[in-house]
Amino acid sequence: MRLAITGVGAVSPLGVGADALRAGFADPAAARERAFAGESTVLDAEKFPEAHVAEVWGFDAKKEMGPKGHRNLDRLTKYLIVAGARALRDAGVKDGAEFVSSLRPEQIGVCSSTAYGSLDSITELNLVAELEDPRYINPARFPNTVINAAAGYVSIWEDLRAPNATIVDGNCGAIDAALSCETHLAHRRADAFLVGGGDVLTEPLYLALRRLGAIAGGASKWAPGERDSKGLHLGEGAAYLMVERVADAEARGANVRALLAGYGTAFDPPRKQSRLLHASGAAVARAIRGALDDAGLQAGDVDVVCSSIGGLPPFDVAELTGIDEVFGASMAVAAPKAIWGECFSGAAALGMASAVLWLDGTPVGPLFRGEVGRPNAVVVVSVGYYGNVSAVALRAP
Amino acid sequence: MGRVYVTGIGVVSSLGFGRKPYWDALVRGASGISEVTLFDTASLGRSLGGEVKGFVATDFMSESEARRMGRCSAFSVAAARMAAEDAGLKEHELAGERTAVVVGTTMGEANVLGELQQAWIHEGEVRPAQLPRYGTTLLPIHVARAFGACGMVQTLPAACAAGNYAIGFAADQIRSGRCDVAVTGAVEIIEKLEYCGFVRLGAMSPDLCQPFDANRKGLILGEGSTMLILESEERVVRRGATPLAEVGGYGLACDAHHITRPHPEGEGSLKAMRHALESSRIDADEVDHINAHGTGTSANDSVEAKVIKAMFGDRDLPVTSIKSMIGHCMGASSAMEAAACIMSIQTGVLPPTINYETPDPDCDLRIVANEKMERKVDIVLNNALAFGGYDAVVTFARPGRLPEGAGDVIS
Repeated sequence: MRLAITGVGAVSPLGVGADALRAGFADPAAARERAFAGESTVLDAEKFPEAHVAEVWGFDAKKEMGPKGHRNLDRLTKYLIVAGARALRDAGVKDGAEFVSSLRPEQIGVCSSTAYGSLDSITELNLVAELEDPRYINPARFPNTVINAAAGYVSIWEDLRAPNATIVDGNCGAIDAALSCETHLAHRRADAFLVGGGDVLTEPLYLALRRLGAIAGGASKWAPGERDSKGLHLGEGAAYLMVERVADAEARGANVRALLAGYGTAFDPPRKQSRLLHASGAAVARAIRGALDDAGLQAGDVDVVCSSIGGLPPFDVAELTGIDEVFGASMAVAAPKAIWGECFSGAAALGMASAVLWLDGTPVGPLFRGEVGRPNAVVVVSVGYYGNVSAVALRAP
Repeated sequence: MGRVYVTGIGVVSSLGFGRKPYWDALVRGASGISEVTLFDTASLGRSLGGEVKGFVATDFMSESEARRMGRCSAFSVAAARMAAEDAGLKEHELAGERTAVVVGTTMGEANVLGELQQAWIHEGEVRPAQLPRYGTTLLPIHVARAFGACGMVQTLPAACAAGNYAIGFAADQIRSGRCDVAVTGAVEIIEKLEYCGFVRLGAMSPDLCQPFDANRKGLILGEGSTMLILESEERVVRRGATPLAEVGGYGLACDAHHITRPHPEGEGSLKAMRHALESSRIDADEVDHINAHGTGTSANDSVEAKVIKAMFGDRDLPVTSIKSMIGHCMGASSAMEAAACIMSIQTGVLPPTINYETPDPDCDLRIVANEKMERKVDIVLNNALAFGGYDAVVTFARPGRLPEGAGDVIS
């Protein structure tokens, strides 16, 4: 795999756009405080007094998307559209509504991921069906219950007519979107893709994780990577990278921010038949090795791992064990979820966006361990809850 | 690079379980449409569906396995196990890191979520043990666990084109050397919210699904799963397997037009069809049969007919929509149709489009109407034109019929 990343678009609890991420990495502690500072618009404070969540505070759809056309879109769709819009313009592909580079609408596609994308809308309609009458379901909102709708709307909004693919692989989907992109570029099904994804905070998701004992509520300790962390804090966000063939990017004079260099994935099931949730260090190591092999990199070439540690000790320990197995215990490990919480597939997308910014000169952070200057190679890893893991290797151009 | 072969097919359908009962029923023109019993339809104004009846999960898996999954995953595991058996593979032969599992769907384990939400809405609480059973991610994971497969596990929720997306992508991964064998296909269940939604969209027929008929009244939802075993040529030769068909190239495009309606000129689907032929390295006149998307809705069928006409002209090219028999199985549909494509190549029989009564001048195609048709079939096009503007077209061919390099990357 050797592809050019020419644009970044992000919607995160730090704000809209890649600059909001850059500012956050300059002072991760302040960024974390800001990300968790607001009063939730999703979780009722009376019902959930213990909740610490990171929302995309003050997101203004009218400001970002214009006055019309988004009344019936759900939050994830809006975040993805805005992240996509930012990436396209950051890459110099669009300016306003115009396609201003040599890339035309029929050459650009979308490889997008989500873990729990339609949950928000399904819940909204189920509430109507259960508490009122199924006949009162709003047909204009029904499309939002279909998982690929959000990515489909990105293509419609920006008039991107090359293939649109949605990938679900739990927390790993955004990384798998890189493979989807590479595959379709290799087959000339498109010449550029928005690659990434997102997830949003929802009440049922929060309730489910709280019921499973996975939330660090109230004064409980939330410390990604530490063994005495009591669970997760939830966040939300979306990010897209603009990805093209290197030669094409150079030919159109694009600013190549980083190279997408390698991909690896692994699945390692739990040994016990009845179990579903599973953390596997072996799968982490295998996915990372796959990404390194694909990139032609040695472990020693990598400067920092952008991890997915989020505060759930069994999963964090497995991830760190896998990282240590490949790189040794001295490898610098960044933990962006310590800023914005667990955003599922959105976290992996934001992780890839973070890695691009780090390779482009933004300070790396927050670091769980180790020190690193401006990196030349970053591995982004994402660990799913069922023994599934995916990783990508990114390099400086 | 190299050829990718289908060596096994597993089917869970409203017409039966396993490829032979399914195929025999399709060829007979049997209808799998019946009254939906999965939930109360009394107030909905529609009551029919291609519901899978008589499915007992423990016929295909242990009680322990069945307990940890919902109906959707159970369909996919059952279909995958039948596909492996059909391919003459013991489960351990699909174990390991070189086996990928790629599964398409529209809504995944929607009924698990529905049950959780009913408990939450009405009782204010859910049982923690039930929570991890929800997750679209789980579909390929359950299949992978059934075989001990440890490679790629991906769900491709590409709405009604999901089967073609999954099969095409899995074939790509074998060609690129990222895996040697793939268990791939798609799955869908009929779920109450989805059913209500389609009723509210005005898309559901009250009685018959009549693709391409002048009096068509809409689709009828169905459910089921088809899983295929795809293997690299090298692996097929090494284990002396007999391939059922070759997966050719495929074409993808996005309409970028409307979330539920197709592009009026079928711009995306025409592009997907053209790419499917180009990447299969064949000309349009080499195609022997089209297994159409053919939903029975006014907009889909007329646009699809227009595109087929634009692509193939007036030549005698038989077109079938098996949705007339099994309903629209949403994400699973193009996988269910892939099984039919492969069986047409195997048997030289084209299944009929039943309920076809009145030709529609807007759908001026050679419809295989009501009775099967017999003819030699080497190359079949499987159309899927989906929600979200997702267009995906896959070619299947008699083994060895496609030119060298079909489906390979274009340099």
